[in-house]
Amino acid sequence: MTETLTLLGLESSCDDTAAAVVRQQAEAPAEVLASIVFGQTELHRAFGGVVPEIAARAHAEKLDICVADALAEAGVTLADLDAIAVTAGPGLIGGVMSGVMCAKGIAAATGLPLVGVNHLAGHALTPRLTDGIAYPYLMLLVSGGHCQFLIARGPEDFTRLGGTIDDAPGEAFDKTARLLGLPQPGGPSVQAEAERGDPMRFRFPRPLLDRQDCNFSFSGLKTALLRMRDQITAEKSGLTLQDRADLCAGFQTAVADVLAKKTQRALQIYLEENPSEPVLAVAGGVAANSAIRAQLETVCAENNTRFVAPPLHLCTDNAAMIAYAGLERFKAGARDGMDLAARPRWPLDQSSPAMLGSGRKGAKA
Amino acid sequence: MATEPLVLAFDCSAAHCAAALLKGDQVLCERLEEMNRGQAERLMPLLEELLFDCAQSWQDLDAIGVGVGPGNFTGIRIAVSAARGLALGLNRPAVGVSGLEARQKPGVLPAVPAPRDQVYIEMPGEAPRLTSCAEAEECARGAALAFAPVASPVDLARRIAELTRDRYQKTSSPPAPLYLRAADAAPARDLPPKLLDD
Repeated sequence: MTETLTLLGLESSCDDTAAAVVRQQAEAPAEVLASIVFGQTELHRAFGGVVPEIAARAHAEKLDICVADALAEAGVTLADLDAIAVTAGPGLIGGVMSGVMCAKGIAAATGLPLVGVNHLAGHALTPRLTDGIAYPYLMLLVSGGHCQFLIARGPEDFTRLGGTIDDAPGEAFDKTARLLGLPQPGGPSVQAEAERGDPMRFRFPRPLLDRQDCNFSFSGLKTALLRMRDQITAEKSGLTLQDRADLCAGFQTAVADVLAKKTQRALQIYLEENPSEPVLAVAGGVAANSAIRAQLETVCAENNTRFVAPPLHLCTDNAAMIAYAGLERFKAGARDGMDLAARPRWPLDQSSPAMLGSGRKGAKA
Repeated sequence: MATEPLVLAFDCSAAHCAAALLKGDQVLCERLEEMNRGQAERLMPLLEELLFDCAQSWQDLDAIGVGVGPGNFTGIRIAVSAARGLALGLNRPAVGVSGLEARQKPGVLPAVPAPRDQVYIEMPGEAPRLTSCAEAEECARGAALAFAPVASPVDLARRIAELTRDRYQKTSSPPAPLYLRAADAAPARDLPPKLLDD
């Protein structure tokens, strides 16, 4: 059996079209040979959020180009690959479907095995790609679409400790930016404002902190920010730049506080398992926020737990994580057929009760 | 004698997966499966079965033809994405063929049914567009063309295969969906606040 595995990964579940090539020699650390991401920020700008149909249209006409670019940058051809990995959900279904069909086309044409990957597993396994972390580790996945704690025990073995019952924090950052007239994406622009603001001037709610669980709620925080903005605007017929900076600082501090406190609780549960080298890893775009990251680092230091944050380009949506998660599944013997389905909803932990979208279509994540 | 080109064409622009395998002028095999959903799961197995039944393989193909719509957005994207993936994997051209063009016949106004009593039409010498059935009928009458917005998906796949056979050596652009309708999207509702000087 060949000791070197090279996988192509495709990702198209939200507003980034991505393709990557990842290679692993035997048990050596995996290597990202190329990771191409075509963003769509400009396409969605006027709408203040990702429009699913616009995203799907862009993916369908860019995926194959992205794949060709990734292969060229990696200096490999399709003949050098061992398998094709593709995000099969969860996500915006039009984009996921385009990715799955493009991957099926490549796999059928080349005879290469196809491996469907859960997008969240891609994020959750990234610390193994970047830092070679051993199972089990605690994962905080915090992005524009997701927010959950997972104990990762294997490539398809995750236990969810808790998560958001409504919005994801990244969504709240975007909404805050819109409400305050700051550019999208909201994460970096709100952080920049917050740095020159007073975090003590506005005290925003810390939802669900009174509960002894690992769950979050962020929708009330958005409403609180809107009310405060309207109150100031009513008093002064507008918002000063200082008001805006202070609102951002207050908002960001509330998010960071909640994430830190809930991380404390999740760590307690995880540490009860006595992992030999305890690790908290983060992924998702919100993990790039320096105030949030600083608080999480403090919590980890207090609990003698190593803090791992992959570099930003591997924290946000990318295909290297999909290729890598596909590689782990492939090594475990997983193969998917040409009937592989694209799934809008696909919780990583299938045994815990659903937190979101428990209706007819099943749990979202 | 030069070997005749082998072309596989498929279409998912309405509630079906339709495919045709063409060798030169001869249709080797046709397939039609009607379905309201599940095209993404079914399309590739259907194509593999078709090739297998004709004792052909993917590598034998000279070109891929695909229906780019107009029609159901999701179905069009399923077919176009698969065609582009196949083209990349086989290093063979994929040709996108409009469903309106594939329906062109002398004396007939090409028309594809659309939701809400609408229809996609292509008047001679005009760009394809979406219009009401009533207006389409009027256009057809004015141009003395028959108006019958129905077509057998099998005929459609075969015609796409024929047009692909005629074009694949000259086509340079990859297939792209023909939507003819903008994406449903409303501009952001949140108005930014008035900003004051400090």
